[in-house]
Amino acid sequence: MHLVSSQFKVLASIVVVLFSITNTYAVEQPPLTHGLTKLTIPEIAPSLRLQDMDEEYLDINSLKGKVVVVNFWATWCPPCRREMSSLERLYLATKDNNVEVLAVNVGEDIDSVFSFINSIEPSPNFTILFDTDSSVMDKWKVFGLPTTYVVNPEGYIIYRAVGGREFDHPDILEKVISLTNKDKT
Amino acid sequence: MSLTKFIISTIVSIVFVDGFAIAQDKEPEVKTWEKTEYGVTFSLRQIPPDVVNAFYNGRGFAINQIEPYAQTCVYTVVLRNDSAPGRIHFLRNDWRVTSNNESNQIRTNSSWLKQFKQTNTKPSALIAFRLAQIPEEQEYEPSGDWNQGMLSTNLAIGSQFDITINWDVDNEFSIKEVKCI
Repeated sequence: MHLVSSQFKVLASIVVVLFSITNTYAVEQPPLTHGLTKLTIPEIAPSLRLQDMDEEYLDINSLKGKVVVVNFWATWCPPCRREMSSLERLYLATKDNNVEVLAVNVGEDIDSVFSFINSIEPSPNFTILFDTDSSVMDKWKVFGLPTTYVVNPEGYIIYRAVGGREFDHPDILEKVISLTNKDKT
Repeated sequence: MSLTKFIISTIVSIVFVDGFAIAQDKEPEVKTWEKTEYGVTFSLRQIPPDVVNAFYNGRGFAINQIEPYAQTCVYTVVLRNDSAPGRIHFLRNDWRVTSNNESNQIRTNSSWLKQFKQTNTKPSALIAFRLAQIPEEQEYEPSGDWNQGMLSTNLAIGSQFDITINWDVDNEFSIKEVKCI
């Protein structure tokens, strides 16, 4: 009887704390914005070679000729979680226009990310990479999560966004797609 | 009643009670302080110590490792450039927390990390801690750049304080009489 009572206390505490966490991050969430800042002077994108969910390495240099959206995130970061569905919708809207989306998870393992991506709708089809020691994030001068860069087909960073975004907003879609058309105009 | 049924019943009760409390705005103990000026919005919302502990426990901290931080009046901070005339740049080191006529800087991440390393905290937990704080330096463009992160006032529970944040030159504002419950 005493054992059951102890088990209950522990489980009840976990329930209360879990609910408190959910509540803390659910109440009064700030709005996601939809602006991208154009860099005054485009910067060459730093190196990025990381493992994906299948433990295969992907090098951003292999994506030259494409527009690449690079998003740094973590599963515990509330705005990162909130923008993830819109990042997938951006991917679906642009994948046939020579655009790639790389979501670089910082500091976590595959199990944590796998359980998270199975909980969001639509489930991501874009590439997820793992910056387990945060060294790539530091090279890209990311000071807070989420931070997103848009790299043009020549490998230069053209746009930057600090904080959560609605990536499928027309303002963002237009800017991303316009980079793919640059040679044609 | 089986233990499982009792737990499910408890969850439902908590959800109901909590939902009712939100609907009736009967949670005065957790308050958001917010101020918008010069096109910049800054807000603070306290995170109770048990929630701080649970969050970092889930990131790989042992409770005894994170408890000293959890007990220092930790807040969720949102800082956003909605419509400032241009880019804003800040150093968190310039911000001040004033309590009982004593003004202090925000304790640095490196100072906390040094303390955590002495208790053999996992490297992945240290990364999560650093990234979960409001950045120590950042630039926000007026295109809606923002961050949401934690900030320890390094004060004891029960304190009341003013917080002054600033960015670039001659741009600052304060939120006064913030209570840490």
